Amino acid sequence: MQLSRPPIRPSRIALHAVMILLVVWSVTPFIWTAQTSIKFTRDVASKTPVLWGYETTANAYRNFWLDSDDLNMWGVLAFILVVAAVATALGLIGRRARHGWPWFLGATAVICVALWRFPRIWEANDEYDFLVNSVVVTILTMVISLSIGLLAGYGLARYTGISGAVILIVALGFRALPRTAFVLPYFFGAKEIDDWLTSTGVGSWNFPLIDFPGIDTLQILDTRLAIVLALVAVNQPFTIWMLRSFFIEVPKEMEEAAMMDGATRLQAFRKVIIPIMWPAIIATGLFTMLLAYNEYLFVRVLAPTEWTLPVAIVSLTGGESSRTITEAAAASVSITLPIVIVIILFQKHLVRGLGAGAVKG
Amino acid sequence: MSTVTLKNLVKDYPNGFRAITDLSLHLDDGEFLVLVGPSGCGKSTALRMIAGLEDITSGDLYVGDRRLNDVAPKDRDMAMVFQNYALYPQMTVAENIAFPLKLRRVPKAERTAQVLQAAEILELTEQLDKKPAHLSGGQRQRVAMGRAIVRHPALFLMDEPLSNLDAKLRVQMRADIAGIQRELGVTTFYVTHDQVEAMTMGDRVAVIKDGVLQQVDTPESIYGSPDNVFVAAFIGSPSMNLFEASLTGSDEPDGGYSLALGDQRLAVPAEVVADRPSLASYEGRPVVVGIRPEHLEDASVAPDHPDDQRLDATVDVREALGAETLVHFNLNAQSVDSGDPDALDDLRDTGRCTARFSASSQARVSDQIRVNVDGRKLHFFDRQTHLAIRG
Repeated sequence: MQLSRPPIRPSRIALHAVMILLVVWSVTPFIWTAQTSIKFTRDVASKTPVLWGYETTANAYRNFWLDSDDLNMWGVLAFILVVAAVATALGLIGRRARHGWPWFLGATAVICVALWRFPRIWEANDEYDFLVNSVVVTILTMVISLSIGLLAGYGLARYTGISGAVILIVALGFRALPRTAFVLPYFFGAKEIDDWLTSTGVGSWNFPLIDFPGIDTLQILDTRLAIVLALVAVNQPFTIWMLRSFFIEVPKEMEEAAMMDGATRLQAFRKVIIPIMWPAIIATGLFTMLLAYNEYLFVRVLAPTEWTLPVAIVSLTGGESSRTITEAAAASVSITLPIVIVIILFQKHLVRGLGAGAVKG
Repeated sequence: MSTVTLKNLVKDYPNGFRAITDLSLHLDDGEFLVLVGPSGCGKSTALRMIAGLEDITSGDLYVGDRRLNDVAPKDRDMAMVFQNYALYPQMTVAENIAFPLKLRRVPKAERTAQVLQAAEILELTEQLDKKPAHLSGGQRQRVAMGRAIVRHPALFLMDEPLSNLDAKLRVQMRADIAGIQRELGVTTFYVTHDQVEAMTMGDRVAVIKDGVLQQVDTPESIYGSPDNVFVAAFIGSPSMNLFEASLTGSDEPDGGYSLALGDQRLAVPAEVVADRPSLASYEGRPVVVGIRPEHLEDASVAPDHPDDQRLDATVDVREALGAETLVHFNLNAQSVDSGDPDALDDLRDTGRCTARFSASSQARVSDQIRVNVDGRKLHFFDRQTHLAIRG
């Protein structure tokens, strides 16, 4: 029996043409970068762009990844710990997402290899480790955003009073403002606090429990904390709204049934509502992760030296840096890879998140 | 095992709406009480107040001797079955049923045994490893029941548990739930808008309207002697026919009365009057008269009927149901609004009367027929208060 195919109409052709154009439009820059990373400098620098038929080389990657004459051993150790933590977290999330364990062991292995030592990046400045900064900032932003967003989203989904609506509208308003508008106020605010810490001497107090080695003075500017706080703040309206839209889909009877079954309100939330919400949490977490991992402007302004990877890579291409454009391209491709892998693994949840409403009771 | 007592329960919402007014009820140990009423009458609110999911504005709730007004839902020892079942989608059937036991830290071996036992009662043994998403509506309903019975609670609360099932399954589950309740002997408070469920399942039926309790009694009494017009119209399907009529003394020596129903007259048998001495005070005044459809019969089927207990009518609609035939006609009398918001009566249709004839009736649409009225089964209500005229 022959399967009937939909007739090919001009409108269909036009639609596909537009979609193909859009895909090309968004993928071209990345392909260009990927190409650059495997070209020789002479082809990259040539006046007429060499689009195909060029000689390829892995030199940029080799230089970037393996040319480590002076390794920062602390950085390596920290990196290994971070990778272990990421692998564990991925595994836990994966179990919730009900992918098999082999999937996640494989994914973790790929991420480990992909990220294996960015010697050049952490040699660029002896004291800081941009990769660790990126991972710490991303994870902290995710965890804090989700914690606040889950509680606030749940509350606002269940509470229908007028003040709840006011909070939501205000949050939406802040979401509507351009993020750029917040950068300078955050900077000056942080500077005020730092000035106060310095002038009163509070910043140089020694707190026994937070007396970390290498940290002499307490400050906000130029710390990971500054980046995390700023990113959590600008991202919070989004997480609250998105999680709230998922919570609304969970029937109220769910937690009522749990409470009748003998659960406290908190137990009902933890044991019944949160497990239903996992797809939503993963989707929201991924959006937050993308925001934090890719952030450039906030990091550049709030942390002049505590760079994360995007800022560090930009610095490779300009200024006094002797690195070549091909190495910068190799770096870009390398730091994009883990994100691409995570997105592929979780794309099912991302799509659900975009079309919020997949949680059915 | 326990008795439940509601004393003058009141529920006010912050916007000033009073959902429940002075609700007092008592459930005996092991009793199955059905609270029935039209949509929006406050019956679910009453149930949720007992469950602890809604605050009690005033009044007292007792289970046994224990006052439960300020006790958290989890400590009330009640199990609830929700209209949409509220099964936990991430858990298997077994985990769903075991959840209340798990929260009570029942040891695993004992838990498994009790889940198996509950599954056996509900014929869910095959389904234990499935997720709710892979179950049929009836199976989901039974899992919800399983979650309730596994804990042996003091009280079952059921909030329209059958309304999401198709008609055939509903009839079966109706019998099943009643059977399980009898077997377990757990006091049960059941809420429904379906008067058939109320009549078939309950030991007693409580009819509620606009948050006010109308009548509590056995199904037979509710049906046979409704306290007011609303209960009369709400219980029974098709509904009782209710008309305004005026009562006049009769010339006959036995002292019966006669009713002016539209432009026709209907004799009220002496025994009916004897049962209701107070009817005398209504002489010469309008009353509300109620006639159940089954107390009307095609005169051609039953010719031996007193001639003064007959009405003339023209058939408007005929619905042959096989075992019986429903015939609608117009009596040219003023219909009475019972106050049921779900009723489809509209005013253009005033005077419409439904009769349940035996299947042998030959009445066809637009036929002129005579209708026997079983005068002994007439119901009388006060026109102002809508209360039954008795005693």
